[in-house]
Amino acid sequence: MSAIKTSDWTGNDNYFEDFETGAVYRHARGKTIEAIDNVQITNLVMNTAEGHFNEDIMKKRGGMFDQRIQFGGINIAMVVGLAAQDTAENALAELGMDKIRLKAPVVHGDTLYAYSQVLAVEDGDREDAGVVTFHHWGVNQDDKVVFEGERRVLIKRRSHWGDK
Amino acid sequence: MAADKGEPVADFREQAKLWSKGHTYEDFEVGKVFRHHWGRTINEGDNSLFTTLTLHFNPLYYNEPYAKAHGHPRVVVNPLLVFNTVFGMTVEDLSEGGGPFLGVDAMTHHLPVHVGDTVFAESEVVDKRTSEKFAGYGIVTWHTKGLNQDGEMVIDFRRTNLVRLRDE
Repeated sequence: MSAIKTSDWTGNDNYFEDFETGAVYRHARGKTIEAIDNVQITNLVMNTAEGHFNEDIMKKRGGMFDQRIQFGGINIAMVVGLAAQDTAENALAELGMDKIRLKAPVVHGDTLYAYSQVLAVEDGDREDAGVVTFHHWGVNQDDKVVFEGERRVLIKRRSHWGDK
Repeated sequence: MAADKGEPVADFREQAKLWSKGHTYEDFEVGKVFRHHWGRTINEGDNSLFTTLTLHFNPLYYNEPYAKAHGHPRVVVNPLLVFNTVFGMTVEDLSEGGGPFLGVDAMTHHLPVHVGDTVFAESEVVDKRTSEKFAGYGIVTWHTKGLNQDGEMVIDFRRTNLVRLRDE
């Protein structure tokens, strides 16, 4: 349609054909989690648990933690996000996730990095795309795994989309 | 001189009853269903903000001509935002009582959500047991569904949390 050439807007090293079972990748950028990331997204999605946005109560309550903890849903989204340019930029659809484990808390000031392994590369229901299954890890500044999980993505084939 | 930081609190605090929120472990019987509050129309600002803050670089979520060239009527809502929003609406009923979120299994995105669509959440208790590792906590698993304005399921997943036992 029209003069838009969509392939100009995405990379050319992350189509379905580029993924091989077993390959492990370290994604190029990390992100230091600021209060504005955690508190803004927690409030944006109406997660009402104040352990994510009330510093005073965390100091006074004497619970498991003595400061605000980043909402785990953001940990998942942030690690997938850090992996996204490489594993989702040419995706047609996110299919699902499984075996997600939040292994350590993330607090303001922590830095997250993402790693991925290709677990499976399969044909899809449509000929212009295939399904790639990844295992993702989220690692903090102390080299501790804070998140891991699997993710299935429908990714364009270069043969159909590389010139569109 | 120190800045005036206001009057000390007066006796209204003595009279105040806590308008409490949330549930505890004892409230979750296997098979119990919760239809969660509010619903949420996800707009372009929500989607762009979430997608850029999480560095999720797929133009389907922030480039309208690109989304339309892929057969979508409007920009697609980032599926991780659909997950977080549906999850967010379940928190008061399920996990606001305190206790860390441990994991999610079998999350499936069934249908795309587009900006301007509205999502709702409901959950069923599927498993519960007391924790041996953490005194005063139980472990509860819920099956949560996210539905759109037409009642179609757009996402579902199983979530497991530590949940506080009622203080006796």
